[in-house]
Amino acid sequence: MSGEITRNPKLAWREVDGAMVIISPEDSQVHELNETASLFWKHAEGKTLDELVERISAEYEVARETARADLEELLAALGEKQLMFVAPEGKG
Amino acid sequence: MHLEKTDGVVHPVETLDGCVPLHISIGSVPLSLFIREPALREPASRRYREFADHSQNGFPIVLRKTAKQVWESGEFSYLLDDAGLVLRSQGAEFHGVRHEYALDSLLRILLTMVLLPQRGFLLHGATVVRDGRAYIFFGRSGAGKSTVASLSPKGSVLTDEISLIRYSDGCWQAHGTPFWGEFRAAGQNRLVPVAGFYLLKQATEERVEILSVKQALRALLPCVLFFAGEKSAHETLLRTLLGLTQEIPCHRLYFRRNAEFWRVIAA
Repeated sequence: MSGEITRNPKLAWREVDGAMVIISPEDSQVHELNETASLFWKHAEGKTLDELVERISAEYEVARETARADLEELLAALGEKQLMFVAPEGKG
Repeated sequence: MHLEKTDGVVHPVETLDGCVPLHISIGSVPLSLFIREPALREPASRRYREFADHSQNGFPIVLRKTAKQVWESGEFSYLLDDAGLVLRSQGAEFHGVRHEYALDSLLRILLTMVLLPQRGFLLHGATVVRDGRAYIFFGRSGAGKSTVASLSPKGSVLTDEISLIRYSDGCWQAHGTPFWGEFRAAGQNRLVPVAGFYLLKQATEERVEILSVKQALRALLPCVLFFAGEKSAHETLLRTLLGLTQEIPCHRLYFRRNAEFWRVIAA
């Protein structure tokens, strides 16, 4: 999983009190992200999972394996709701 | 008046020869309805009589009898059973409208689109005026909007079903609408500054809880009438609602089916 992480380009979103409120125009579904997921939404765009693992393990002094597991879990949850996904490699 | 456009192209609408339009204004949006069929024009005149307008230069809406067969790449189109709406920068066409219910529904859809770039929207809510300020009681079907309206003094209700809110003259204002529950013809064409929003929750006691901006957005969004599918339209709506919720308090109102709720609102 080394492609770039990207937001679903169809979504409309605003930051409200530090949290992301996201609307899916296709089904008018409203999503509200928690603090951690909101940070991920803001900062993960255009980065690879490897880059984020490096950054988080350095900044927060956590083991790479732990950081990777947490990020994968978060990305899977966001992916399940079709909010974010990993773009195929080479297609920025 | 014309809609904001992205491509700068002007799309006029051809009006009907010899047809005198019915001029109305809803939410300070002047509209000129070109209706040739007396079977539709007369009930429409009655239904919207409180909203008659003398500006003579409203956004043209042309009713065409036949259902549209070929849909061009208009700015916005919407199909409602057999009837349809095509919205262009300089007017709209309603196709296949056979009764005033369809006309009323298409008018609501049209207004959501016209109001959107003007920081305005329609909300499933009753608007009640008290001491010169508007209280919006909102919620989905069955939440108690018409109950609240029926418990309010005669003449104080601007609508019991669909509220129209827009930002104008430096503040958020609620406008009377002709859109009432059970398709009653009613309404007053006036505007009143908004005091607050109240998400209705029927309960065994009267209680009011203030909502955070985030909670307010979550409460309001599902109750906004919205028909556009484009991301940019949703972004505009989010921006409008965010601006609103940052200025106007939004609450959850627990209430019984009596007028005691005003006690907790006034507190």
